[in-house]
Amino acid sequence: MEAFFAIFNTDLLVATIRLSTPITLAAVGATICEKSGIVNIAMEGMMIMGAFFAVIIAYYTGNPWLGLVGGVAAGGIFSLVHAVATVTFHLDHVVSGAVLNILSFGIVRYLMVLFFGHPGTTDPIPVGLGGYQFAIPGLSKIPVLGPMFFNQTPIIYMSFILIVGALFFLKKTKVGLHLRAAGEHPLALETIGVSVYKMRYLGVVISGLFSGLAGAYLSIENAVSFTEGMSNGRGFIALAAMISGGWTALGSFAAALFFGFADAFQIRMQIFKVLPIPAEIFIIFPYIATVIAVAGLVKKSRPPRADGIDFMIEREDG
Amino acid sequence: MNKVFKTLTLLIVVTLVFGVVFSSCKKKEEVVEAAPVAKPIVAMATDTGGLGDKSFNDGSFQGLKDAAVDFNLDARVVESKQQTDYVPNLSGLAEDGAEVVFGVGFLMADALLEAAANNPDTAFAGIDVWIDPSSAPKNVQGLLFKEQESGYIAGVVAGLLTKEHASVSDRLNDDNVVGMVLGMDIPPVERFQAGFYAGVKSVNPDCTVLSVVTGTFTDQAKGKESALAMIEQGADIIFQIAGLTGLGALNAADEAGIAGIGVDVDQYAVAPDAIITSAVKGITQASYLTIKDVVDGKFVGGDNKVFGINEGATGIAPYHNWNNIIPGVVKDAVDKATADLKSGKVVAPASRAEAGYEG
Amino acid sequence: MQITKLKPVFYVLAVISGIVGIVMYFSSIFSGFFFILLALIIYYLYRLLATDLKTVKSDIIPLLKNLLIPLIGMSSAIIIGAIIMALTGYDPIKAYKALFYGGFVKNWSISILNATPLVFTGLSIAFAFKAGLFNIGAEGQYYIGAMVATFLGITFNLPPVLSLFLIFIIGGLLAAAYNFIPALLKVKTGAHEVITTMMFAHIAKYLSSIFVRGMGGDSAGLHPYVTDPILDTNWLMRFKSIFPSANYRVHIGILIGIGMALLVNYILYKTTFGYEIRAIGQNKDAARGQGISVGKNIFIALLFAGFLAGFAGVTQVVGLDHKMYENLNAGYGWNGISVALLAANHPIGVIFTALLWGVLDAGGQYMTRTTQIPNSIVEIIKGIMLFLIVARYIYSWLGNRIKRKLGTRIKKSGGAK
Repeated sequence: MEAFFAIFNTDLLVATIRLSTPITLAAVGATICEKSGIVNIAMEGMMIMGAFFAVIIAYYTGNPWLGLVGGVAAGGIFSLVHAVATVTFHLDHVVSGAVLNILSFGIVRYLMVLFFGHPGTTDPIPVGLGGYQFAIPGLSKIPVLGPMFFNQTPIIYMSFILIVGALFFLKKTKVGLHLRAAGEHPLALETIGVSVYKMRYLGVVISGLFSGLAGAYLSIENAVSFTEGMSNGRGFIALAAMISGGWTALGSFAAALFFGFADAFQIRMQIFKVLPIPAEIFIIFPYIATVIAVAGLVKKSRPPRADGIDFMIEREDG
Repeated sequence: MNKVFKTLTLLIVVTLVFGVVFSSCKKKEEVVEAAPVAKPIVAMATDTGGLGDKSFNDGSFQGLKDAAVDFNLDARVVESKQQTDYVPNLSGLAEDGAEVVFGVGFLMADALLEAAANNPDTAFAGIDVWIDPSSAPKNVQGLLFKEQESGYIAGVVAGLLTKEHASVSDRLNDDNVVGMVLGMDIPPVERFQAGFYAGVKSVNPDCTVLSVVTGTFTDQAKGKESALAMIEQGADIIFQIAGLTGLGALNAADEAGIAGIGVDVDQYAVAPDAIITSAVKGITQASYLTIKDVVDGKFVGGDNKVFGINEGATGIAPYHNWNNIIPGVVKDAVDKATADLKSGKVVAPASRAEAGYEG
Repeated sequence: MQITKLKPVFYVLAVISGIVGIVMYFSSIFSGFFFILLALIIYYLYRLLATDLKTVKSDIIPLLKNLLIPLIGMSSAIIIGAIIMALTGYDPIKAYKALFYGGFVKNWSISILNATPLVFTGLSIAFAFKAGLFNIGAEGQYYIGAMVATFLGITFNLPPVLSLFLIFIIGGLLAAAYNFIPALLKVKTGAHEVITTMMFAHIAKYLSSIFVRGMGGDSAGLHPYVTDPILDTNWLMRFKSIFPSANYRVHIGILIGIGMALLVNYILYKTTFGYEIRAIGQNKDAARGQGISVGKNIFIALLFAGFLAGFAGVTQVVGLDHKMYENLNAGYGWNGISVALLAANHPIGVIFTALLWGVLDAGGQYMTRTTQIPNSIVEIIKGIMLFLIVARYIYSWLGNRIKRKLGTRIKKSGGAK
C-alpha cells in the first residue's frame, strides 16, 4: 500500500502535463473549429501531417524551430482541405474528416518511401526541441506547480499560452464572437453582414494549426524522429476530450489533463506492481476512467446549435 | 421492395462488368507475368507491422538484400495490410517464381503452413515461427531465436553496472534499479524480458527490475513516458524491447542522462553516448543463411531451426562509446556468461514463469 | 392482363438466377455474371410485358443517373492517382493493370474475404448514422464478437447448423450487450457515444489479449499467443463445397452479409421502428414532437449496431481464421466508417462499397507484390475516391461554373453582334 501512495508525487503531475499536451492542443483547436459550426474528426490526420512535415523540415534544414513552423503550417494547409470540402463544397463534415484521416496515413507513408527510401520511421533529426527545456527563473522553484508549469519544453509553454489565447479569442474578441455566432446562429450572422464562410474557414484552419503543433510536439519535441502510428489515436482521444469538456476550451484542457493523468498513473501502477494482474488491465485504465468521468462527472452539455449543420447561401455576385 | 431490387441488380451489374472486363485481360496478363526473369527471386512477406519497424521485418529484408548481392538474386518484399493477405501474399510470391519465401512474424504461422502445402515446390521459412515437425509439410522451416540469451547477457552487463560499478560513469547512479520498456506482450518480447531479468539477478540478486508494458510498437511518446517513470524510481539503465516505441525510451534515457540498452539490432546510433550495448537477434543472419542453404541445395524443411548463441545469432552488440568506460571485470563476466550459455552450463529462461518474474 | 398472374414465376426465376449468379461469381466462376444479367433481363422483361416501355425507361434512367456520380468520382480518383504515380516516377498503367487484375480476377477471393467483415461493420455504422449516432467503436464490438465465437467455437459440441446458429446469435447479442453501457449513458446522462464506444473499443482490444492467452496455445508453449482452434463442426460452410473451382478459403459469410444488408434495409424502410429511427436521425426534436420515444429508439439502435458489428467478428472466426490471434490489427471497425459513408449510409450500398474496398485492398497487395509500387498509393486513391463520390456538391458547383462561363461567352458574342 505504501508503494501505492508513493505514486502520487510531483513527477506524476509533470508526466501528466507531458502526456496531455498533444491532446490538449488538438482538443482546444477542435473546440474553436466546432464553435464555428464545423465538426472536426480529422485531428488525427492533421497531427500526423504536422508531425511528419515538422521532421522533414527539421531534417533538411537542421533547425527544429523551422521544423516547428513547418509542422504547424502543414497542419493548417491540410485542414484547408477540410474547410474547402465542408464549407465551400458542403460535404458532410464527418465524411470529410474520415477522408482526411485516410489520406494522411497514405500520404505520409508514400512520402516516407520517397524521402527516406523506407516506411516505418524517419531518420532522426540533428537537434530536437526537447533540448530547449527552459526553467523560468523564480517561478520554477514553486513546489509542485513549478516543475509542472514552469520547467518545460517550448511547445508545452506554447500550449499554455494558446489555451489562454483561445479563451481570450473566443470570449473577448469581436472575431471570436462572430466565430461563435457562425456556430450558433449562422443566418443571424450573415444578416449583419459577416461572412459565415469566412468564420468557418478561420475555425477549421485554427484547428489545423493547433493539431499541427500537437503533431510537431510528438515528433520533434518529445522525440527526434517521425514514426508511423506515433499519434496512436491521440486525435480521437482529443475528440473525446473536447466533447467531454463540453465544447469549451477550458473544459477540453481539463479533460485532456485528466486523460494524461490516468495514463501517467497507469504506467506507475505497472512499475509498482500494485496488483498482480495482466499489464493490459493497467493499459485500459485510462479508457475506463474516461468513461466513468463522462458518465458521472460531466454535466449534460450541448454542442454549438448549428454544429455540423451545413450553411449554404446563394449570392448574386458568386 | 421493387426499388431495392432494382438498385441491387443494377449495382451488381456495374461491379461485375468490371470483373468481366478484367477477366478478359487475363490471358494477356499471364504473358506479362511469365516474362523470363533474369535472376532467381527470393521474397518475403511482412506481417501487418510492415517495413520500417527496425526489428524483424527490416532485419529479415536486410538478409534478403545481402544475399541478393552475394548470390546475384532479385530480392522482393510485400507488406501485408491485414491478416487475410498472408496466404495470398506467400502463395503469390511462390507463384511468381521465388526460390524461397519468408513469412515474418509469429502471426504468419498458419498462413505459412497453408501456403507451403499449396506450393510444394517452393521453400518457405518463417521468422519467429514455430512449426510442428510431426505435421508440417517438408518445404517449410521455422526459424526461432533464443532471445533470452541476448537478454541474459545484456542483463549481466546491466546488473553489474547499475550498482557495483556505478562509479565508472556519471550516467549511472547508486540506486540498484534497472528498467525495461516492453511493446506488446508477445512471445519474443517475453523471451527478452525473462532473459534480461535472469541475467541481472545472476550477478546482482538484490537489484530491482522494473518493467512497463506499453501495448504498442509505434508510440514513441508512450515509450518515453514509461522510461521516465522508471527513471524517477532510480533506474539508471533502460532496456527497450518495444520496437519503435522503444526509440522514445532510449531517447528518454539519453535526455535524462542515464544509460540505455537497445534491442534486435545494434542501436548505438540512436543515442551514441547513452547506449551501452544492444541485445541483438540475428534475424538478418538467419534469413541470409537460409537463402544460402537454398542456393547451395542444402535446405531441409519440415522442422525448426533455432538460432542461439552457438550459431552466433544471439548476444550483444559492440560497446562503442562505452568500450573504454566498462571495467574489465564486467567484460570478463560477460565472456563467462557467454561461455556458460554456449556450454549449456547456464540456460536462460524463456518465459517469465521460468524466470520467476512476476512482471 | 394474363401476364400479372405470372408475376411470381418471373420473380422466382429472376431471384434464383440472381442467387446462382452471385454464388458462382463469389466462387470465382465469372460466367456467373451471365446469370445475374439473365435475372435482370427476366425482371425487366416482366416489367415490359406488364407495363410499357415508357415505365421501364423511367425506372432505369434515374438509376443510371444515380450511378453517374460514383462512376465519375471513381474514374477521377483513378486519374488523380495516375498523375501522382507518374509524377513520382512509377508507371501508372502497370500499376492499375496489376491493381484491377489482382483485385477482380486473380485475388478476387481475397477481395471477398476482405469485404465480408466490412459489410457487417459498415452496416453497423450506417445503421447508427441513420439514427444520428456515430458508432465509432465498431472495432470493439468486432473484438467481442470474435472472442465469443472463439470461446463458443471451442466449447460448443452440438449439431453443426444449430451450434453455428447459436454462435452467431450469442456472439451478436453479447456484442450488442457490449454497447449496453454506452447506450444507457447516452440515454440517461447524454454522454456522447463517440467517447464511450471509442473507449470501449480500446478496452476490448486489450481485453482480447488477455482472452487469447487464457484460451489455450499449444502444449509446447512456443506458440502461445493464439487460441486453440475451434471445432471443425463449427466452421462456416465454404463455397468450395458447392463449386469445387471456388477458392478453398472463401466462406459464405458474404452471403450472410448480403442477407443482413437486406434485413437492415427492410427494417429501416419498411418497419415503424425504422421509420422512427430515421425520423430521429433527421431531427430529434421534430421526432419527439411526433410522439416518438427518442430515448428508447436510440437505445435500441445502438444495441442493434453493436449486434451487427459483432457479426463481423463472429464471421471472421467461424469462417476464416477458426481461431483468434493476438494483436489482430484488424481495423475493420475503423474501415467500416469509410464503407458506410461511401454508401451514403444505405444498407444495400454498403455491400458494394465493402466489395470495392475489399477489391482495392486485395488488388493493392497484388500490385505491390508484382510491381513493387508502394501500397500506400491505394490508400491515397481510396481517400480521393471517397471524397469525390460523397461530395456531390462539387459537381453542381462545377456545372454552375461552366454554365456561367458559357453564359458570359454567349452574352459577349451576342453583344458583338
